[in-house]
Amino acid sequence: MVSLIGDTAFIKGCAAIGAGLAVGLAGIGAGAGESGIGAAAVGAIAEDRGFLGLGLLFTVIPETIVIFGLVISFILMFAYG
Amino acid sequence: MLKPERMVKVSVVGPKDYFEKVSEILYDLNLIHIEDPEETEYFKLGEPFEKAGVVSRSLVQLRSILSYLKLDPEKYFPKRRYRVEEVVAELDAKLEEYRNEVGAKIDKIKSLQEKLKALEDELRVLEPLKTLGIPPRLLKGYKTIKPFVGFVRADPRPKIEEITSEYEVFIKDYGKEYVIAVFVKVEHAEEVFRVLQEFGFREVTVPDIEDYDARISEIQSEIESIREEIKRLESEIEEVKEREADLMLAIEEYLSMELEKSELPLRSLVSKYVFVVVGYVPQKDVETLKSRVEAETDGKVSVEILEDREKFEPPTKLNNPPYIKDFEVLSTTFAIPKYHEIDPTWIMSIFFPLFFGMMLGDIGYGAIITAISLYLKRIFKTEGWQKLLNIGIYSGIASIIFGFLYGECFGPFVVGEGLSPSQVHWFGSLMAGIYAFNHGHPIFDRVEAFGVKALLFITLVIGMFKLLWGFALGFRNVAVEHGYKEALLEKGCWFIGVLGLCFIIFGFTYNLGLFTSPPPEGFGKILPDNLFVFGSYTVSDARNVPLPIPGLVKGWQMGVNVFYFLALPLILIWFVIFAKAEVPKMGAMGIIMGVELLTWFGQILSFARLLAIGLASVYFAYVFNYLTIKMAFPPGMAILPVAIIILLLGHLINLILGILDPGLQSLRLHYVEFFTKFFEGGGVLYRPFGRIKKFLE
Repeated sequence: MVSLIGDTAFIKGCAAIGAGLAVGLAGIGAGAGESGIGAAAVGAIAEDRGFLGLGLLFTVIPETIVIFGLVISFILMFAYG
Repeated sequence: MLKPERMVKVSVVGPKDYFEKVSEILYDLNLIHIEDPEETEYFKLGEPFEKAGVVSRSLVQLRSILSYLKLDPEKYFPKRRYRVEEVVAELDAKLEEYRNEVGAKIDKIKSLQEKLKALEDELRVLEPLKTLGIPPRLLKGYKTIKPFVGFVRADPRPKIEEITSEYEVFIKDYGKEYVIAVFVKVEHAEEVFRVLQEFGFREVTVPDIEDYDARISEIQSEIESIREEIKRLESEIEEVKEREADLMLAIEEYLSMELEKSELPLRSLVSKYVFVVVGYVPQKDVETLKSRVEAETDGKVSVEILEDREKFEPPTKLNNPPYIKDFEVLSTTFAIPKYHEIDPTWIMSIFFPLFFGMMLGDIGYGAIITAISLYLKRIFKTEGWQKLLNIGIYSGIASIIFGFLYGECFGPFVVGEGLSPSQVHWFGSLMAGIYAFNHGHPIFDRVEAFGVKALLFITLVIGMFKLLWGFALGFRNVAVEHGYKEALLEKGCWFIGVLGLCFIIFGFTYNLGLFTSPPPEGFGKILPDNLFVFGSYTVSDARNVPLPIPGLVKGWQMGVNVFYFLALPLILIWFVIFAKAEVPKMGAMGIIMGVELLTWFGQILSFARLLAIGLASVYFAYVFNYLTIKMAFPPGMAILPVAIIILLLGHLINLILGILDPGLQSLRLHYVEFFTKFFEGGGVLYRPFGRIKKFLE
């Protein structure tokens, strides 16, 4: 079989795709997580306005997952990009 | 600053004749946080002083008037403050006046509004009947004929036809429904009614009037005059409000104070002749309290310090200097520290603006946030808002400082290679000119690959630092309450474990080449190349030579470096201590619980958001700048206004995100990653008996 691109280019490409997937999929996951929390938080805020601060805070908790994805993508880009 | 104010428990004991006097003194001092007592065989809860009844009745009336006038003591700021004597002198007359001037008028308005509603209801009946065009006297008062007048959803004639042919129907379109009048013989009335019900018949009572038009115009003029009357009364009330608001609120405050004073017995114990008030007083104020009470009662009432070891649960009085005090809004949202705990507000007051600045890091946005906060401070005067807006100012200033470091003002002016500053920023060349001292590069370029790497590492180091600090503080808190052994098992072992993790992260970072790769143009250029840093080691050496850290480069051990060797014993020690702590409690399951170490790894990584959120906003700004510059130049097309609109909108969105996200994430880094290590909370806030007067002098 004739290889269309060189090994280095192939690895670089795969790393870039991997980095994209890491951020994108993590983002979808965090979004799914936040949707439930957000809905519950809005409900709680409707009951008691004082919950606003805490509610916002709970809503951003799953965002850590995206940060993990981002770190992975950075590492991929540093190592192979 | 580090700990809440020190408290002592005191009792105030004296004969009942002096109770009212003592209540006055204590209220005036505003020092003692009263502990709610429990009844015993001889000591029962007291009853309010005599004046309470009158005072509370007046207070209820006044408050209902205030609520009608929308005067909220919390939100209203007085133009003039009254002396207590002034209020006392005018109290009865003024209360009477308010009852007559405002209270009576409010009642009148309410009755007028009811009347208005009745008239409007009548009008609602007359309008459709008028459309029907049959005079009211013909719609009722028959002996052998039954009339049905009302609304239906559809034309019922075919159905009525099935029952009888002797009928008369008048039907007119009226909005979504039909207005209808059906006349049938009395013997068919029941059946026809059933048919009409199928069509959703709603009956209308025909009023006793002669002529629709006359009555309608009569009602309309009546409504008009009632509305005017209400308006007149409202403007009169408004006038009173303008004139008397300060005094009204002063009286409200005076009455509330009197009520609180006269209800002191409800929070203290009395026997036949004696009363006892138990509470907590800040240590430094005990002497003031003691001397004043004893002096003013000729020594008849005594203040004693109680050495109560069994039930010593003092309230928490946060004790912070002005700058740090503003951050109490944020730290107490999480929890109120217990009396023995460290008050984390001061840590937050350092790191919150720092994190905010690190994330946002833009001169332009920072300046806007500062300006907005300064402006809003003049509008929202309540204490909570003032504190929050002060935090806004500090965060804005931190953003400006970091913005200067990052070289960003509404976006970066250096983005990678191949694009000149004027291509990526509207004032790119100007910015580059300002940074001429650093060869046209920002001091710390976080958009460029090396900057990202370095900042990622810095954020992780901050994370490690904060986690370790959190466990250290937790160690201290547990040690104070349960001793050192318990502290070592509960918090100390995690400290060691996390330290091991830190070395593993260091080792990994070293292998990625972060320490060894030479920084590109712009980094460290401020320092002259030939400056001696350490011995004969110059700045240019630092750029070129990798740090001398031993690491293996060949064979299966490739990548193993000195950091991993440091981490290994720490992890082992952690595991032994952890097993010692958990196995007795949980059995073999305890060992599996060691997986929790990975949670801390996740929490360290979580600090990478300090980099990530900033980068997101940088690229937002960069994209909007680049896009609009491309649209606007070369000039000559009418696209420039569109470009400006996009530019403004884009930066507005970015600014809103830039306030919300860094603020929330910075809070979260404190609440979730830091406070959970040492801060339990659950304290009771110090609320002394008394009040700070707002409307009285």
